[in-house]
Amino acid sequence: MIWLALTLMAPFGAGIAILALRRQPAALALAGSALGLAGALGLFAATARGDRIAAALPFLPGFPARLEASPLTATFALMVATVAVAVLIHAAGYMARDPGRVRFFGIMTLFVTAMELLVLSGDWITLLGAWEMIGFASWLLIGFWHHRPAVPEAALRAFLYTRSADLGLYLAVFLLIGATGSPEIAAASALTGPPALIAGLLLLLAAAGKSAQPPFQEWLMRAMASPTPVSALLHSATLVAAGAILLIRAAPMLPDAVLVAVGIVGGFGAVITGLMALAERDLKRLLAASTASQHGFMLITIAAGAPVAAVLHLVAHAAIKSALFLGAGIFQHDRNATTLDALAGAGRARPGVFAGFALAALALAGLPPMAAWFSKEAILAATWNSPLAPWLVPLALAGALLSGAYMGRALRVLWSGPAERAQTPVPFMAVGLWGLVILAVTLGPAFGPLEAMLGATIEDIPPFLPVLGLAVAAGGAALGWLLPPRRLLGPFLGPAERGFGIASALETLSARSALTLAGAVARLETEILAATLAAGRTGTRVAAATCRIDRDRIDGAIFALTRGLRASGQGLRRLQSGLIHRELALSMIGILLLIGVLLIAPLSF
Amino acid sequence: MMGRDLSFLLPELFLAGTAMLMIVAEMLRAPRLGMTIGLAGLAAATLLTLPVLDAETTVFGGTYRIDTLSGWAKLVLLPGTALALLMVRAEIGGRLREGSVHALIVMVTLGALMLAGAGDMMLVVLGVVLTGLGSFALVAWPRDDAATEAAMKFLIFGAVTGGVMTYGLTFWFGGTGSTLFADLGVLTGRPLILAAGLTALIVGLGYKGALVPFHFWVPDAYQGAPVSIAAYLSVVTKAAAFFALTQALRDLPREAGWPMALGLIAAVTMTFGYLAALVQTNLVRLLAYSSIAQSGYFLLAVVALGASEMALPALVTFAAAYAAMNLGAFAVVLVAGRELPDLEGFGRAHPWIGLSMVAFLLSLTGIPPLFGFFGKLGLFAAAIDAGHLWLAVIGIVNSVLGLGVYLRLVVPMYAAPGRRRAVRVPLPLFAVLAITLAATLGAGIWPGLFLR
Repeated sequence: MIWLALTLMAPFGAGIAILALRRQPAALALAGSALGLAGALGLFAATARGDRIAAALPFLPGFPARLEASPLTATFALMVATVAVAVLIHAAGYMARDPGRVRFFGIMTLFVTAMELLVLSGDWITLLGAWEMIGFASWLLIGFWHHRPAVPEAALRAFLYTRSADLGLYLAVFLLIGATGSPEIAAASALTGPPALIAGLLLLLAAAGKSAQPPFQEWLMRAMASPTPVSALLHSATLVAAGAILLIRAAPMLPDAVLVAVGIVGGFGAVITGLMALAERDLKRLLAASTASQHGFMLITIAAGAPVAAVLHLVAHAAIKSALFLGAGIFQHDRNATTLDALAGAGRARPGVFAGFALAALALAGLPPMAAWFSKEAILAATWNSPLAPWLVPLALAGALLSGAYMGRALRVLWSGPAERAQTPVPFMAVGLWGLVILAVTLGPAFGPLEAMLGATIEDIPPFLPVLGLAVAAGGAALGWLLPPRRLLGPFLGPAERGFGIASALETLSARSALTLAGAVARLETEILAATLAAGRTGTRVAAATCRIDRDRIDGAIFALTRGLRASGQGLRRLQSGLIHRELALSMIGILLLIGVLLIAPLSF
Repeated sequence: MMGRDLSFLLPELFLAGTAMLMIVAEMLRAPRLGMTIGLAGLAAATLLTLPVLDAETTVFGGTYRIDTLSGWAKLVLLPGTALALLMVRAEIGGRLREGSVHALIVMVTLGALMLAGAGDMMLVVLGVVLTGLGSFALVAWPRDDAATEAAMKFLIFGAVTGGVMTYGLTFWFGGTGSTLFADLGVLTGRPLILAAGLTALIVGLGYKGALVPFHFWVPDAYQGAPVSIAAYLSVVTKAAAFFALTQALRDLPREAGWPMALGLIAAVTMTFGYLAALVQTNLVRLLAYSSIAQSGYFLLAVVALGASEMALPALVTFAAAYAAMNLGAFAVVLVAGRELPDLEGFGRAHPWIGLSMVAFLLSLTGIPPLFGFFGKLGLFAAAIDAGHLWLAVIGIVNSVLGLGVYLRLVVPMYAAPGRRRAVRVPLPLFAVLAITLAATLGAGIWPGLFLR
């Protein structure tokens, strides 16, 4: 209980203190997140011993807010807290001269709190609340440099995209509570039949939105406008990971049909965004596309029925991707740009940082003995043994090949090019980076015990499979290093650079149509009214016809009213309300429609 | 019997007496005294409501209901009115005929209470007329062209819809031989009469509650009236309309078809309101369209009546949340100015007021942990529980649209550099901001404290 409180309240208290005191933000944020890490460690140790920690706080009547630390949720909590500490150390250096430091660290710590709340939540309502809070906090963080061009738009896009997909979570939560009669997440695993199918698909929609799977990937690519520590946090352990975490927690209830859909979304997501990463010309956008691709892997694994392997990959990816972003942030700091052209040779200028970046990159590619090698092996094993193996295994291998290729390409660009040694030391940033790199490199051997703790059994796989996985990863990295994407992608290069047109199609479908509609509504009172008035006349004619049949009944009354009001409307011209009769005509049409619905609706019973 | 009935009516009687005293104070040209009497009367009426909160009875032969709904409605409407009085004081304090505005507001609230407790058709008509007559005068108060035009439009719409309503309700009276809602059950199986009365009711109360297509007066009236009056109309009379609709429809079988009709109106209202709000540049008009959209959300609870036990709690919770956040947003407009450019840099220049505006707008969108989130959560839950999944989907999709509407206000508040302008935050307005902000935040963080 105390650990639970510490994990949540330490970063929260730090956030409040920063916003209230407005001084020493970095130190306060570090202290808060370090205490939070201690709490998460305590939780993890306690659950590893077999304790289950749960708390029910008074909240909505009849719906207490439940928090629970199981081995799974404690693992997530530990992951979030660890990455948060490393990222905040880095940010202490990165943001040292930014005038908005107070706001930055305040929001960051509150964001971490919301994420811890999300992973530790034991009921759907708390989860939904935390889900919305991280969405909102990420909007604030992505839009942090809102005075720069394109930044407010990127933030708004991220918020609107993910929030549209949140629709799935809202509906799924209501459906699950309604079907199981209990708001507890654990109760959902007993659900079967059509409710489980529909809820599962809705959860997939929400997860695909947050984890930036196609067709939602665009928001993540644009979110690169944020400060680099924000990207490092969003991409690794928090916002994007929330989608995968949601599906991992819901995995016990997902019926087979939903698993197939998860596999399709994840598999094609991994390959499509992998191709986009390979074609990308901006380092941060490359890393963003790779984040989407790696989350595709996690979805593949969940589809294969092995959520524990997905947890391993999530943890490995959290450490690796935050390290990569922190490295990219240092290069950006040096060159004041993130395009690959501008960054050419930036790695040679800082060999120490480049070494860390390269280790993380090779780890992401899946080379032994680093973390993602273990998790990718677990993924391959899981897909091999799943009933969906015939198409999941090729997709997973293609994704792995692409991971190698785009990381190889990034390393090549950073290494080759003009380089003069960078002078300014970056102690904070380097400490944050290396802390994560060490984790990325050494985490692998811990995965065996973690797997056992999460209750998964290591399955038998044919011996050629790990060899094949290794060959694909190394081959991909070598190809990426040796060949330019033009040669690798061939005819796919153009479409991949344009994101396969998915984003623009989605825009045309949703955003544009909404804006057009809004414009149309705006013109309603001026132009369209003329047309409606014609319809109104038809309406009055109908009324008049009815009136002949049924002289002094309701329609006659309406007719008379309309006519009388038109006359008074004319009289009121002097008061500039010439449109009132038109508006009343619209209201009358509304009344006629209403009568129609009220007469027809009872027939359907 | 009479004594018992009157004892249940203490809050209403008290309020009526308060309004009389306020008129006397106005005759003595003592607007401060009038407002003090008004606030005290509202506070007393609120306190007098508490003992009868759990009552489940009727007075005067079933015409007036003293039940949980009307009790909670008073707890929303009376404090809402008090906040509106404070806003009026801050906006037009010291000007001629200020006291009549105070007295009229209390009078209109009396009509709103009648609507919320109506157990009888004639009481609904009376409530609509009582709220309407006062409101026209309130809108026309500034006495300039815009206000006069707006009040005229408001009046004409009120006359038409009121006429349709009264005419249609006579069908119900003809069918049942009684004006009590409780006797409407005998109409089962007579769809034409049911449809006539239902149309009438929806038209009359839809006008009051600003539902599409009876909303045309709303943007003009809000724009022409003083901001504080717009805030008052958008909260108190609107919520009263939905309470009255609920009181009437509770006794009608769902088979009569009204859930479908209201569901369609709700969908159109939400969508139309937010779409129209997207392109407004006048803050008051924008908030007017946003409040039209929120009317659509109100209907989600009404549609779920009789099919979900969550309908009534959801209605009351959302009404309370809506009162807090909408009054708060209008109060900020009162400080900042009526045009969108007035907000540019406002959040930077005035961090506390800016932050409260952000809280109100996000609460209107339905972002946790603010009151509006729990209000909408309850509405969606009630609609889904009642089997109207499609309606909840439209509501949630529209809340994304709403996000666009409200973020359009938040972004310029912080994006542009702050132009420090001297703004006047008189004490009454400060109190309004503090109370609405405390409710929006407090009820969001500990909803359990408020909703038992």
